[in-house]
Amino acid sequence: MKKLLLISTIASAVIIAGCSQRTVVQYGDEKAVETTDINFGSTDLQKVAANMANSLINSPVVGTMTQNKRPILFVERIKNKTSEHIDTESVTDSLSTKLLQSGKFRFVDMTRVDAVKKQIDFQQESGMVDATKAIQFGKQVGAEYMLYGNLSSIVKSNQDKSDVYYKFTLRLMDLESGLVEWADETEIRKTSEKKTIGW
Amino acid sequence: MLSGNYVVALDKLPDYNERHNSYVLSQLENGRLYYLMGNWEQSQQSLEVAYEEVEKQRRAAKYQLSRGVQNVGAVLSNDSALDYKIPAYEQGMLHTYQALNFAFQGDLSASLVEVRRANLVQEQALRDNQQSIDNAKNTLINEGLDVTKLYSAYPDMSGIVGGIKNNFQNAFTFYLSGVLYEINGDLNDAYIDYKKALEISPDNKYIQRDVLRLAYALHMQDELALFKNELDVSLTEISKSEMSDGGEAIVIVEQNMVASRQSVSLNLPVYTRHSDIRFFSFSLPVYRQNTVSTSLTLTNNGQSHESQDIVQLQSLAAKSLVDELPWLLSRQVVRVVAKEELRRKMAKEGGDLGNIIASIYNVTTEKADTRSWSTLPANVKVIRVPLKHGSQILSLSNGRDVTNVELDVTKNSRHLVNVIDIGGKLQTRQTVYF
Repeated sequence: MKKLLLISTIASAVIIAGCSQRTVVQYGDEKAVETTDINFGSTDLQKVAANMANSLINSPVVGTMTQNKRPILFVERIKNKTSEHIDTESVTDSLSTKLLQSGKFRFVDMTRVDAVKKQIDFQQESGMVDATKAIQFGKQVGAEYMLYGNLSSIVKSNQDKSDVYYKFTLRLMDLESGLVEWADETEIRKTSEKKTIGW
Repeated sequence: MLSGNYVVALDKLPDYNERHNSYVLSQLENGRLYYLMGNWEQSQQSLEVAYEEVEKQRRAAKYQLSRGVQNVGAVLSNDSALDYKIPAYEQGMLHTYQALNFAFQGDLSASLVEVRRANLVQEQALRDNQQSIDNAKNTLINEGLDVTKLYSAYPDMSGIVGGIKNNFQNAFTFYLSGVLYEINGDLNDAYIDYKKALEISPDNKYIQRDVLRLAYALHMQDELALFKNELDVSLTEISKSEMSDGGEAIVIVEQNMVASRQSVSLNLPVYTRHSDIRFFSFSLPVYRQNTVSTSLTLTNNGQSHESQDIVQLQSLAAKSLVDELPWLLSRQVVRVVAKEELRRKMAKEGGDLGNIIASIYNVTTEKADTRSWSTLPANVKVIRVPLKHGSQILSLSNGRDVTNVELDVTKNSRHLVNVIDIGGKLQTRQTVYF
């Protein structure tokens, strides 16, 4: 009798200890398809960046541009016209990384201009940096092309299901002539259906 | 809250955890109080949590088993045991306040995202509206209750409801959306939203002026001709408002607080399954008082401008309650009939003591669900004035209190001024976009 009591106490203690671990954390594959909900997710971001980068690198117009030199680009911004808070800078970061790695383009970063100015100011004015080794003002190279775009969505839903359609458009503009040399778009559709019975 | 002591009010709010059935309501109240205090980030976080809960409810399966468990609890006691379901007009205000939170933090594109979400809420509500009311009335009839008896016994709230057509169309949401689109340079989108606001609130002079101004700017010749016939704002007034190097101020006034729901007891006849008519006592929520609306005057440079009403949230709340009545009552009929069966059984088996206990249970657990977002303003007004270049002072008065706002006007600067008028005292905040 006592042995039974002891065993059952130990067993219940083990079960309770196991039950107290409520969440399980695991590492996943960053390229895996994510289908948690219908909002803009990691798979959409990767798809958009990959498609746009490939399209730009393999485009014939860009081929002629990059025959003898590497054009200098800057990314203006992607306008978020959807009804979700999407970090569009993260999309442009992926995109510009892929383009840089292809070796065909060079980039200037407009988001860090103030930091650079501060650093050069420090080197020139503060008196702490050797004047012969300090960087001069006015020696930066200017951008020749601008990358910009829009991300829009159409959301439809009724009692049983929801459907979201994303359209990401990207354009490359020649700053001097104002001509749009290249444009492309990526479309994504996600649908979700309500379960009939659930908790 | 009436004395403006929001910090104390925040402390007094109950702190529920996620599983409590009024969690989402407590987050809405928190969001509004932080907004009144000017703490945009905290307000944004609270309202974001409330939005997540709404989305969770929307994604839920059609027949939710957990809701079934809750329903059993509600059948045994009262409606307050159910999760608080946010009505459409409160969802619209949730997104409107989020848009204002982002706008006051300088993030215009995030505020436009919230404005688009508010739009989706309005479209969804339009689709759900009529179907839902008809379904509710049919359910009531099936349960043996005469719907006409309900409406004749229920207190008359038509004074509070006023002339509004439905319980979710909110001209303020559309107007704010138009203003934000216009600041962002999307004149076409702004024009569409101003027109929607005009449709809901056709007598508002400021909306009329904005529609005409944009129709003119976008060269909408056909629509201009139509408007000139219907509206009484002359074109000369429009050219005056396009100052060459000045800016403008858009003043949004939130006045008073929406009244809270109270309880009313009604005795209505129900055809029970023992095929007799019995009178049962029901407890339903009601709005008893209407809130007062006083006009504000803005004086600048010797000219004075009157505020114009843009939405009566009190009316939307009352209409939402009237539309909800059949559902509230149908749940109560099931509940009261079930409790009556319980009482009969307990009387048979427990004798007098069983009867007394069951009667006490019936009486004590029957309470109306008076939950609602009670810190919303009772009405919202708007004033929009062009300003000359330089340092300008706007003097605002509501008859009991006067306050001054100092603005530094440059070319095309748009000053968004938010005035809170609670308990007669005025409080202002502002931000500027170029």
